[in-house]
Amino acid sequence: MSFMGGAECSTAGNPLSQFTKHVQDDKSLQRDRLVNRGPNGTLGGFRSAGSSAPQDEMMNGFLHQTAPLMPEQAPLPMGLHMDPNQGVHLRAKSTSPPAAWASDFQGTQAAMEAAFNAPPGAQFSPDDFARFQQINNPAASSSRSSPMPTQQQQQRPMMGMGGMMGMNMGMGMNYGVQRPMYQPMSGMYSPQAHMAQPEQQQQQHHEPEGKGKGKVVELDDSQWEEQFAQIELQDKKLQEDESLAMEPELNKMDEKLLHSETGYGDLESIWRGIQAERESMNDLDVEDDFAKFDSSNFGGDGLGDWDRLNGRIADPIVENYLFEDENLFRGQPNPFDEGVKIMNEGGNLSLAALAFEAAVQKDPEHVDAWVYLGQAQAQNEKEEASIRALEHALKLDPSNLAALMSVAISYTNEGYDSTAYRTLERWLSVKYPQVIAPKDLSSAAEMGFTDRAQLHEKVTNLFLSAARLAPDGDHMDPDVQVGLGVLFYGAEDYDKAVDCFQSALQSSELGTSNQSSQIHLLWNRLGATLANSGRSEEAIAAYEKALSIHPNFVRARYNLGVSCINIGCYAEAAGHLLSALDMHKSVEKSGREKAREILGDSAGDADARIEAMTTQNRSTTLYDTLRRVFVLMGRRDLSEKVLTGVDPDMFRGEFDF
Amino acid sequence: MSLKNDKFPASAAFDVINEALNSSEADRKDAIKQGNAVFAFTLKNSAGETESWHIDLKIKGAVGKGLGEKPNVTLTLSDDDFGKLVTGNANAQRLFMSGKLKIKGDIMKATKLDPILKKAQTKAKL
Repeated sequence: MSFMGGAECSTAGNPLSQFTKHVQDDKSLQRDRLVNRGPNGTLGGFRSAGSSAPQDEMMNGFLHQTAPLMPEQAPLPMGLHMDPNQGVHLRAKSTSPPAAWASDFQGTQAAMEAAFNAPPGAQFSPDDFARFQQINNPAASSSRSSPMPTQQQQQRPMMGMGGMMGMNMGMGMNYGVQRPMYQPMSGMYSPQAHMAQPEQQQQQHHEPEGKGKGKVVELDDSQWEEQFAQIELQDKKLQEDESLAMEPELNKMDEKLLHSETGYGDLESIWRGIQAERESMNDLDVEDDFAKFDSSNFGGDGLGDWDRLNGRIADPIVENYLFEDENLFRGQPNPFDEGVKIMNEGGNLSLAALAFEAAVQKDPEHVDAWVYLGQAQAQNEKEEASIRALEHALKLDPSNLAALMSVAISYTNEGYDSTAYRTLERWLSVKYPQVIAPKDLSSAAEMGFTDRAQLHEKVTNLFLSAARLAPDGDHMDPDVQVGLGVLFYGAEDYDKAVDCFQSALQSSELGTSNQSSQIHLLWNRLGATLANSGRSEEAIAAYEKALSIHPNFVRARYNLGVSCINIGCYAEAAGHLLSALDMHKSVEKSGREKAREILGDSAGDADARIEAMTTQNRSTTLYDTLRRVFVLMGRRDLSEKVLTGVDPDMFRGEFDF
Repeated sequence: MSLKNDKFPASAAFDVINEALNSSEADRKDAIKQGNAVFAFTLKNSAGETESWHIDLKIKGAVGKGLGEKPNVTLTLSDDDFGKLVTGNANAQRLFMSGKLKIKGDIMKATKLDPILKKAQTKAKL
């Protein structure tokens, strides 16, 4: 319908003119309704009590009924994804139970429909109906003919239709069909034309309806209870049947996965193909690669791999912390204080970690030592060890702020986004219980792939409201800013993250994150965010700042190397990475002297013993990245030399570090 | 053996991707699961020469020269843009929209490539 069309252009044909007419109409109706609220009280009563109460009941019933159906359906698609081979089996076999299930379901549906139809029938005897329609007609017809039935839309929710729609959604597609059935009814109701009519008529019309309602409620109760009992029974039976049918399937699948017979054959042929190709390529490191392949779980258990693949979405499995076998601090009376001293002096992080290890071995309940250990390992570019230590600390003290924040950052680095968000939420609930009470935390169960964005939004909003609690810009809590920064970083909203870290650095309020012993971390975070948003040059400046504060900060050194890769300075990148490795490898000079002091041994002996001490928690990221740099430089000869645990000294001639 | 062609400076990235795929079995399987296709690249350098590589994420999980066997999707772009793409300085979608990247074959598969190219990038850590 065009506004400008030829004949349509007349006043009568123009929808706009009709619209204005209608709007005027509307207003009068609304005013009427608002003004006459008092005398019309009965009307409101009839609407809310009469029509929505039984429907609420129905809805509850439905929710109870649909709930058990859901988990039953869920395992099926999961099973199908597990393995293409087994998946086909599963699909083929499982057709029978669902078919039965579907037919049963249809049965219940039919019964349900009948039940649904009953109330309206009882509610309006044809007699009432006719009268009702007659009364409504004058106003209803005018509102229907207009192109904008605004009235109807306004009224509908009041009629308990909201509840009905919710039900339809809960029931899924099957019951969706019923919606149109109800809609005309609501249309009939909704104009509420009788409001515009003289009150007499309203009363007159209202009374018989009230009677009808009374009957309906009774009817509903008895009928529905029966219905639901029946459905519940069917449901239970179905579930049992299903699980019985599934059990042999699952067992078979388990067996197959364990033996992985079918998969093995395929892989072997593929493997032979690869082998042949490799040989024809006359690759230099063929043998080396083969050894690696053989040792790895090439045809291995599919289940383990599946778990690992899902790891990024689900919670990571955190194992226990691995201690170094040799620890020079073990004999020390107070290794924790030693460690803190090393950290504050900017000493070698591997050494500090050793001190904290000794401290927690002495007293496994020492929460602070665990937290420090985790932080030292994170700064030392040993993320896995860090997460292990921090999770242990949180087991001992679930509300340790420093541990929560540090582990959230570690999870972000490792790509466990939703775990990181929930950890940040926990942090907030400890520090700002007024923003989110600990009992309102999101549970791990509700974590799905699609929920991640939602969770992120929720936690971000919570942090923003926490940030707003601060009086003004300069006095904001820097820790909240860091949390926000991490959140924005996780969503790749780097500009905002940069702002957050910068304001944390500038904040005059003293928090845990901007105290002098932690400030280098903040600079590094700023740098990392800049680097990942493509501003490598600015990032390098931030890293330099971090390293000037804490020269042994391995992570910043590593990040500096990464930024150098990104701007194409491979030689420099290699230098930085090698120096980071060097810090790992040999507990650095100052550390050595200290170690010697502590050990009180002859120099040579101490060196050897220190070497042996830092073997347990190794960072593969540094080696991987170094290998990558050499590849990018076109130095395959060098990249082949980079094996985990290699001494960086062998590259000293080529690179300056 | 290097996959890099000196006339195509950005092609060093193929070595890096290959390295990333080879470095750990879990990563490789992950990539195969995610990609499940053969991605071919045809790069054009400033001199107008073209050369092809492929990333096989269907069976082998490796990078090779040439278009490979029946690539599901072929991406044609300049060497320069490829360099930007793998360093994360350019966005595949934007390149495609601006006509700098041409895609032949299953475009939906091309969208799966992004996380795999990301593997070749090293991310800074907080």
